[in-house]
Order: sequence, then C-alpha cells, then structure tokens
Amino acid sequence: MTELLNWVLLAYRLPREPSTPRITVWRKLRRLGAAQIVDGLVALPADARTKEQLEWLADEVIEAGGEAIIWLGQLGSASDERHLTTRMADVIRAEYDEVIADAAAAVRDPPSVRRRTAARLQRQLARIERRDFFPSPDRDRARRVAEDLSRVTEDSRVTEEVP
Amino acid sequence: MKWATRPGCHVDRAACAWLARRHIDPDAEFVFVEDPADVPADAIAFDMRGAELSHHGDDCSFETILNRHDLVDPVLWDLARIVHEADLADDRYRAPEAYGLDVICRGLSMVAGDQEILAVTGRLFDGLYEHRRRALLLGREPG
Repeated sequence: MTELLNWVLLAYRLPREPSTPRITVWRKLRRLGAAQIVDGLVALPADARTKEQLEWLADEVIEAGGEAIIWLGQLGSASDERHLTTRMADVIRAEYDEVIADAAAAVRDPPSVRRRTAARLQRQLARIERRDFFPSPDRDRARRVAEDLSRVTEDSRVTEEVP
Repeated sequence: MKWATRPGCHVDRAACAWLARRHIDPDAEFVFVEDPADVPADAIAFDMRGAELSHHGDDCSFETILNRHDLVDPVLWDLARIVHEADLADDRYRAPEAYGLDVICRGLSMVAGDQEILAVTGRLFDGLYEHRRRALLLGREPG
C-alpha cells in the first residue's frame, strides 16, 4: 500500500469588498502553487515551508477582516489523491510548455536577444520549480531546453568576440 | 531581554535573531516554542503567528522589525532585500544572493539545532552585512 501524502489546507473567507485583499491573497496562492479544492479552501503538500506560508496568509486574511483556519490532512483514498496531484501537475505542465515554446521561438533570434531570453527563462523556470511538488519529465525537458538556449548564447558570444 | 520564536529556524527567523542581538539588544536570549500561546510572558515574540514582529502585508519579519524599531541603517535595508527574497521569493527585489542563502539555511536546519543555527548564521549575517556595507560605500560589488 502506498502511503498517502500529508496536506496543509487553508479554509478562508474574505469580505467581498474591498477587493484588493482578495486579489492579493489569490495572487499569493497562485505563486505558492496551491490547489483550489472548493471556493475558499486551498491545499498544498505539507512541509515546513508550505505550512508556514499558508499560516502567514491566514494571518493576512484575518488582518483584512476575514476568517481563516489552517488544517492538516490526508485524502480519503489513493485515487482521490492521484486525481488532485494530476490536476496540480497539469497546471505546472502548461507553465513548462510555455517555457519550452518560448525557448524554441528564441533559437533564431540575434545572440543579444537570445541571451536576454535565456536569462529570463531560467528565472521563470526557477519560479515554476518552486511550486512544482511532483517532479516530472516535463520539468527535466524544460530545464534542458532552457540550458540549451543558454549554451547557444554562450557559444555565439565566443564567435562574436572572435574578430 | 528574552526573545521567543518557533523552532526549526529558517532564513527570516535566523536573520531576525541576528538583527535583535547585533542591532537592538546585545543581551538577547532566544527561546523556542511551537505554540504562540507558550511564549513566556517576559519574552518578545517574533516571526510567529499573531506576534507584532512578524509578516505584515508583503513584508517579512526582518522588514517588520526594521520598521517597528525605526532602524534606518541603509546596509540593514539592503540586507532586508536579500532576506525578503530568500524567504518569500516574490520578485519584489532583485537579489540573486537570495536563492543561495535560502538553500544554505534550509540545509543547515537539517543538520543543526536552533541554537547552533543561530550561532552559525550569526557569523554568516555578520559577513553579509560587511559585504553589503562595503558594496554601498564603493557603489559596486567589493572584491
């Protein structure tokens, strides 16, 4: 029997107005890679960092006049868990695909443009990997493509500098 | 004074402890409690839920302490950019040092207890402070 993952959940409710705190919380949850379970309930695989981040967010919700409570839990079955992790991985895969597409589109750019794109994609990749909890071939593929683009730019820098 | 925070110190808490001892209270002693309710009555709580010296809005606890204690030293604020990005990685600041600092602190917390973490990171932040101080004076990265 496979062991079920531990999750940290944030149940929260914010006043409808003002909308700024709602947007801030939504933006932060997105950056953390949290899965929306239902309206006002989000989940992340539990570790020291994710639990802490959701706790700060809970405080922020309360400071904005809302209600928030942190739960720790497991899915009721392995298949429910798989359903959730697949859904989260699909979101991340779309983000990796974007990096891969941008890198492919940049291959024919002039070296100076390509160098900037390579640096941007490496930063973007680092951000995506932070919220990727389920290592996949997509991640390795995106890493490879971004590194290849960096390498192409380094090679071209050498050729550029040779008179 | 006694200062209280959660165990399992990571970058923001370690930086706050350094800040407290070096720039606010040379006699600072640190105690670690899991639950905010267990903070001793005579202790200043920091980087814990419900504590005044914690995350506020988009600020990490280090930034909050600088604000609440009116610390205006530009070197500390430069350090704050690095601590903020190491802790929150929200791209508010450009701080390429942050990623490495985050990994170093995470690794340290896997092999060391809290008092040891504070001792090691204390020296780390002494060095980082000196590096940023020279960088600000020179207007470029010091050698």
